[in-house]
Amino acid sequence: MSELTRTEAPAPEGTGRLARPVVTRLQRMAAGAAALGAVLGPGLIAGLSDDDAAGITTYSVLGASYGYQLLWVLSISTVALILFQDLGARIGVVTGQGLAGLIRQRYGARAGVLSIGALVVANLGTTCAEFAGIAAGTEIFGLSRYVSVPLSALLVSGLVLRGGFRGIERVLMVLSAVLIAYIGTGILAGPDWGAAFTGTVVPSMPLTKDAIMIATATLGTTLAPWGLAFIQSYAVDKKLDTKELGLLRIDVVTGAILTGVIGFFVVIACAATMFVKGTQITDAASAAVALEPLAGPLAKELFAVGLLGASLLAASILPLSTAYSVCDVAGRPAALDDSPREAPLFYGTFAVVTVMAVLLVLIPGMPLVPVLVLSQVLNAVLLLPLLFYMAGIARDRRLMGEYVARRGITYVYYFVIALILVCISLMFGLNLLH
Amino acid sequence: MSAARVLTSGDRQSVEIRRELIASLISVAGMVGRPVRQRDGSLIGKLYDFVVPAGPEHPLVSGYVVEIARRRVWLHAADVAGLEHGQLFLQKAKFDFADVVRRPGEIQLFHDVVDHQLVDLHGVQVVRASDLYLGNVGDGWRLVGVDTSWTTFLRRSLPGSRAWRPTPTRVLDWHGIHSLAVSEEKGVQLDAPNSQLKLLAAADIADLLSDLGRSERQELLDDLETEDAADALELMSDEDAASLLGDAPVERAAELLSEMEPDEAVDALREMGADDREELLQALGADDETDLRSLLSYDEDTAAGMMTSAMVIVPASGVVADAVEALRAVRGTPDQAEMVILVDPGGVLVDDVTALELLGEDPGRPLMELAGQPWPVTVQPDAPLGDVVDAMRDNMGASVVVVDADNVPLGHIHADDLVDALGDAERRWPWQRMAGGTA
Repeated sequence: MSELTRTEAPAPEGTGRLARPVVTRLQRMAAGAAALGAVLGPGLIAGLSDDDAAGITTYSVLGASYGYQLLWVLSISTVALILFQDLGARIGVVTGQGLAGLIRQRYGARAGVLSIGALVVANLGTTCAEFAGIAAGTEIFGLSRYVSVPLSALLVSGLVLRGGFRGIERVLMVLSAVLIAYIGTGILAGPDWGAAFTGTVVPSMPLTKDAIMIATATLGTTLAPWGLAFIQSYAVDKKLDTKELGLLRIDVVTGAILTGVIGFFVVIACAATMFVKGTQITDAASAAVALEPLAGPLAKELFAVGLLGASLLAASILPLSTAYSVCDVAGRPAALDDSPREAPLFYGTFAVVTVMAVLLVLIPGMPLVPVLVLSQVLNAVLLLPLLFYMAGIARDRRLMGEYVARRGITYVYYFVIALILVCISLMFGLNLLH
Repeated sequence: MSAARVLTSGDRQSVEIRRELIASLISVAGMVGRPVRQRDGSLIGKLYDFVVPAGPEHPLVSGYVVEIARRRVWLHAADVAGLEHGQLFLQKAKFDFADVVRRPGEIQLFHDVVDHQLVDLHGVQVVRASDLYLGNVGDGWRLVGVDTSWTTFLRRSLPGSRAWRPTPTRVLDWHGIHSLAVSEEKGVQLDAPNSQLKLLAAADIADLLSDLGRSERQELLDDLETEDAADALELMSDEDAASLLGDAPVERAAELLSEMEPDEAVDALREMGADDREELLQALGADDETDLRSLLSYDEDTAAGMMTSAMVIVPASGVVADAVEALRAVRGTPDQAEMVILVDPGGVLVDDVTALELLGEDPGRPLMELAGQPWPVTVQPDAPLGDVVDAMRDNMGASVVVVDADNVPLGHIHADDLVDALGDAERRWPWQRMAGGTA
């Protein structure tokens, strides 16, 4: 700034170097709320996005098939979600880099290939699940999946790539918020609260392959690999300061608890309505029965609208998040503002994930509910290397500096990883025995 | 012609050249972890890294870090007989091995550079190094190129000898690379600035800073001249600029802030936490501090919130030579060098005169003779964004003057400030850059 030519704008009364305004407690509270508002986002969005078509279906099957007995799996999944979403956001803020690129930098080429492979396969599976959700939702209204799924893929791609998504995004969020109706229906269904509480805090596990599989899918859908990559890249993008990590934790914990709470009510709604009658979930329409205590004859339509909103929302984010991760690990341009010629890998990945997911869902006779659940089991399997690498990065002083994870919390990370490993091993073991 | 493609003589020649090129290169990523042997072939350890000095265009390998029974030791380049068949052979049978100490200005190629972010100064982009290649140019092994290809990255994950053989695909000359090695020890500067950094435009630097990780962008910021860094910060989004300033040591941040245009500096300050902002303001010189505090006191969504207080003010009673002299003093700042504001003895706005109007005028001509229509378009400090847009549209010019109730000029708003304000609309996705070369 040149002293010769600058004129100083007169300061309003009460400001200036010597006369600083007295900051009242109310002003401090307002400033704190504003700071929290600026940080809010990554945790809430990543957490709530877990309540997508795959999540709702997995929780529904958990409640309809096992009542309240496996609610503790959801409790553990929610704690794991808090731990690893917090870690992902923290790594993103401290390093300013995405998860896949950081794994490559820290662990080298083989780990980079393994992690991006796991992420692409898991995200492809979950994108399939989202299109399966769209198919299930529209089939309740009598529209064939062969029409609705390609149309949705075109719609979502057009919106994402051509812009103007913001308004539609809000509409989809409102539509998916219909699934919050499960909280009301969970209460109206008159659940056995004592059994629900016991199921939530006391672990008990039927040693059958179906029970282990749904428990694994619950872990996989709650702690989805794409959610971990998404929250880290979102935290990087927001350019948050390390001083804001405390506020970011509030955001992450709030989002994760909301995910857990919605999941809890989905499970108890299905337990109180379907499990007691012995109804199994064979297709999306049967899952809608759980909403009858609240919506009566409109339960199916309410369910379909919610499922469609949640599926379209997640289907628009997933291919984009995958494309970002692939470019991140490859060190290639990855921004929507780059043209396809400038960023072929980015747009190529987006196209491949979307087209493959659509084609897989449209294979004639493809059972939608098993696709939804199995994609989440796959998520759990593919989570393992990602969580392992994240825990390692958290302990790396060169990357994390003063924010390196302490030994105690690292043990907790490894305990969660071991728990998922036990679930997967049991699942494969029991499958081999049968 | 058979199903197999018949090679033409040109094809054969290029294949031969490629084969010779590959044979003359050493893959840094491929060699790491490979055996280190004595001349008689007995195994003594494995190669941990190559060490080069930072700075030279194509630095010579000065030494090696070798892992022997879990101990990392330093081996001078002169003690190595050769790098052959994916193995490192020693010159002598006996050595005094010294423990490795990280020294400023020295880079460990594999652990500091491979798979890390680098700045490609010629392509003006952030890349990741898939591999580094060494070439023997007579005086020893020199770092000649960096491979940023996806195929080389995948090659390294293959088992066996395929993982360590060079596969030059998308190779950039090391001379055009700015490395950003970050030391685990605070205060140890591993890298030296690449002289070609000076050739980059401010907008390019802003893009690069936005694409880099947190430590890497601080490294780049440290390597830039203060003026270049400040210009780049002005072109970044307010959040990015605030984040960079917040991470920099407070003295350096204050230095950068005082070099920035006041309106851009204030925009960045507004994005910082209250404590950081206060600390930074107090680290500024008294004039800069008062200036920025006064701008900060305005609502950012008003004319005063987006104006810059830096402007060229000349008494209307002066002559053309006075105005030219004042403009000459701010030649380096295009925003200010476009016009002079004429004021009466009470500081009240009289008119504005553009640099174009002054061109070819008699130096002794009174400025008042140049005053006249079109009169400057003014707005009040509390005018909302919409009113400023309307004023700018009506003006059909590049700026409007912000005046107080007594018509005393407080600052002016340039078209680019208005574009910034309008471009602050939310992005649709996290993976989207904002207008103006920011991410």
